[in-house]
This record gives sequence, C-alpha cells and structure tokens, in this order.
Amino acid sequence: MAQAAELSAVIVDDHPAVRAGVAQWLVTGTPPIQVAASGDDVRVAWAGEGAIADVVILDLHLGGPTPAMSELRRLAEAGRRVVVYSMRADDEIALQCLELGALSYLTKAEGAEHLLEAAVAAASGRAYTPPSLAGALAGDRSAGRPALSARETEVLVEWFQSESKDFVGQRLGISPRTVNTHLEHIRVKYAMIGREAPTKAALLARAIQDGLVQVDDL
Amino acid sequence: MSEKRAPGDHVYATMRIILACATGILQFGLCLHPLLAQEYRHLWLAVAAFIALACVTAVCCGWVLRRKPLPVALVVAGTAVVLAASLCATAAIAPDRRFQASDWSLGLVGWHLLLLLLDRVRVLITVLAAHLMTSMGLFLSAGVPDRAVLGAAGATAFGAVNVQLAVVVITRVLHRQTHVAMAVAEEQDRLVTRVLTAQQWERGQRILFADQLGSTLSLLAGLADGELDPRDSDTQRRCALAATQLRRLFAENDDVPDPLVHEVTACVDAAERRGVDVSFAISGAAVPVPSQARHELTGPVVAALSAARSRARVSMLRTDEEVRIAVVADACADLVVESTGRVGVEYGVYGEYLRLEARWRKQRS
Repeated sequence: MAQAAELSAVIVDDHPAVRAGVAQWLVTGTPPIQVAASGDDVRVAWAGEGAIADVVILDLHLGGPTPAMSELRRLAEAGRRVVVYSMRADDEIALQCLELGALSYLTKAEGAEHLLEAAVAAASGRAYTPPSLAGALAGDRSAGRPALSARETEVLVEWFQSESKDFVGQRLGISPRTVNTHLEHIRVKYAMIGREAPTKAALLARAIQDGLVQVDDL
Repeated sequence: MSEKRAPGDHVYATMRIILACATGILQFGLCLHPLLAQEYRHLWLAVAAFIALACVTAVCCGWVLRRKPLPVALVVAGTAVVLAASLCATAAIAPDRRFQASDWSLGLVGWHLLLLLLDRVRVLITVLAAHLMTSMGLFLSAGVPDRAVLGAAGATAFGAVNVQLAVVVITRVLHRQTHVAMAVAEEQDRLVTRVLTAQQWERGQRILFADQLGSTLSLLAGLADGELDPRDSDTQRRCALAATQLRRLFAENDDVPDPLVHEVTACVDAAERRGVDVSFAISGAAVPVPSQARHELTGPVVAALSAARSRARVSMLRTDEEVRIAVVADACADLVVESTGRVGVEYGVYGEYLRLEARWRKQRS
C-alpha cells in the first residue's frame, strides 16, 4: 500500500495533552498517520492542511455544554471521514453519531490500538466497531434499528465482553477474520438506515467493492 | 377525612348522652310543672307539643345510648317536629305571657335542637336563630310591649341561648383537643413501629453479615494460628476472594442510584488493589434488579475476579429484558459457581483465559 504512508489526520480536542498523545500514537502507529493539523476548535478541520486530511478525529465535548453534534453533522455532510473520540460512554450518543455518519465511536478508555485501527479504517472509508460501540449496538432497542441475525448479535456481545477477536473466534468457532466480516456487515446494515450521509454511501460502496454485500441485497 | 372522624365521634357521642339526659331532666323536671300549672288558650296544643318534644328525645336515645351518630333523616324530621312543637307551644299561650315563666318551650326547644344538631354547628345556629326570631315575632305581634317587659324578654331569650352556645363551644374545644391527642398518639405508635422495624432490620443485617463473614473469620483464624501459609497461592486466592466479598458486602447496602454498577465497581476496585488490570464497560441504562438477583449476579463476578492473575475484562450489558455480566480473566482456577433459579451462570476455560457470564432475565408478569 504505497499511499498508506501518506495518510493524514486532523485532531480536534480541547485538551492539549490529549491532542499531543493522540498525535504521538498516530505518528508512531503502523501504518503511520501524519497529523495535518490539530486544535481545540473544529475550524482546524475546515482550513489549510486540516481541510484535506483523510480522517478527522473529533472530541464531542469541546468545552461547550452540549456535545458537538452539529459540527459532526456538517463534517459528515461534507463527506469527511470522522472518528468520534469521546470521554463519555453514552450508548445513545454513540448511536446518534453513527446515524449522522461517523465511521467510528471510541471512548477514551479504549486505548491506542483501537484508535489506530479506527483511524486507518476510516481513512479508507471503512467503519470500525470498537468493543464499547459493539455493546451499544447489542443493546440497541430503538424502533428503527436494523434486523441483525442471531450470529451477528452473538459477535457483538462476545466482542463487547472480551475485547479480543481471537477469543470471540475461539468461543464461536469462527476465524477472527470472520468476526471482522460480521462486524463490518452489521455496520453496513446500520449505514442503510436513517438519514443519508456521503460517508454512509461511501461505506456501502466500499462494502460492495469488498464483497461484503451484494447489490441485490440493497 | 374519614379516619379523622373517629376522635370527633367519640366526643360527640359522649356529649349527646349528656345532652339527652339533660334534655329529659329539664323537660320533666322544670317544664312539666309550668305546663300543668298555667292557663292556656289551647291546652291540648301545649300538651301535644310537650309530648312531641318528649318523643323526639326518646327516639334520639335509641341511637344516642348506643353511641351512634343520628341518621340524617332523623335529624331533619326531629328538627321539623321540634320547631313545629315550639310554634304550637308558643301559640297555645296568650301573647302577653310569652317570654315569661309560662313559656316553658322557649329554652327547652334549644336543648332539643342541640341534641339533634350538635355536630352541625352552622345549621344549629341558623335553626336556633330562626326559633328565636319566630318566638320574638310572635311575641311582638301582640303589640309593642313597654321597655321593662321587652328587657325581661330579651334577658330570658339571652339566658336560654347562652348556655346552649356554651355547650357548643365546649364540644368544639373538646373535639379539637381530642383530635390533637389522637394525632400525637398515632405518631407515637408510628415511631414505635419504626423503631421495631429498625431493630428487626439490624438483627437481620447482623445475621447476614455473620453469615457472609463466615469464610473470612475462618481464614483469619487460620492465618493467625499459623495453619495457613500466606505465601501459598491457594491461601492468597482465598484472601483475594474474602477481600472482594467484603468489599461487595460493604457496597451492597449503600443507597446509590445504580446499585448494580456500584457493587460491581466495588469488586473491580478490590481486584485493582491487588494489582489486576481491569477494564470495566457498561452498555445500557440502569434497570431495577431485585436485591436477591443482584446478589446472585455479582457472586460469580466476585469469584472470577478474585481468581484473575493480572488482567480482567468486566462487562455489563443491560436491556429492558435482561442483564448480562461477563468476566474474561487470565486465570485457570477451577471456580465453583452455580446457576440459581433467577440467574444463569455460564463458565468455561479457553486456553489461559476463563470466561464467566451471569445472566438475569426479567420475568414478565
């Protein structure tokens, strides 16, 4: 992957220490992700280098009293690939972020490993489901939720409970790769419901390209 | 209001017995003589009025002596009879003798009305006033008397009504004080019940604590006597289990908005103090779990966490229908965990990891 070295991200977080830490994780990760810009305001993602970065890593709580949902919506509507990185593990907000078009929702309790995976996946327009988000999806009882198969629900619950895809594979008698396929499939199902967003459309296109879903299924 | 009527009824019942006796004594002791001694325009009218008044008292006694409130129909009929008797008695005597000794009905009627309308003060005052007005009207209809006669009549009327109003006031005061006394007594009863409940709860807690401290006490005794070696891994595991159990026991009785998370957090905290790296994740909002089911849910968590060597993942998945708590830890100890009627426990060892899940399903009623 020649272009992998060229991945870039913009970090929006109101804590300088978090920005520095995330930047360090991204730069030293495999593949490394260059930090195009970072700041405590979402404007850094709209100007200069930040405007053309592959991924936006967005903290939802930017010092204001309410989560920065409208900022997320504007970014997603512009087709930006957003990874939400939040202090709070709030299932409802996590599901709202997916609805708006975020490609991943991570809590800050989830470390570098998940953030890197999420950022790399988002850079190529793919979704990433960390364990906490899997828990939120498994517990989703909203009226408009997509119908998941029994196996898909099992994968969500086991991934939430163990944080290890190897362990999930061992428990369910499938390969870790199949675990990933199930998780991606679930996210495609979620992308097909609710409001439209360019990132969701791209996610679907990507899933068709990867052979995850057939055009006939849509 | 119904529960507050009880003390009032008690006062009214007693006052009615006194009033019934007083009315009877007044009628036959003080009024019988003037009835027989005076001259009347229509004697039969006066006698009929006397008998009617005596009958009203007698009928009232049927309820009064059994300490029962008078029925509304009796009160209405009795009041009508009494007022009619009063009119008849007044009409029976010559107008110039009204408001004098011969007018025995003037004061007596007031006692009858009091007996009938004791607990209906407004009606009583209205009827008494109507009675006085009518008597006064009849008195004045015979022509305007001179000032001395008028003064004497006023004094007679005032004297007759005054004592009756005093009885009303005394009854009201007694009623109110009884009410207050009963309220105080009820509050004291409630306090006694609360104290008894608290004592019982404390005894229950003592038994429960003694029950749960059982394994801890024998462990401490073993360590103190030197029978158990603190370097032994089995002893260390028992200590870890006892410490986690104790920590949960302390958390169990805390008054917090989300007791299940509080309890599991206490277990996680105990494991972290041992140096275990624990990640704890919760999905879903708080759901009410009965305390017994909560105890059975967290019991296996205590066992699994105390067996963890260096890493553990604790997760809680809550929906409206069920609660699932899972522990995945690097431990290969054999745990003794059993499913109960309410909580299903699944346990397995996968390589160097153990996985345990306690699952409680809400029963649909």
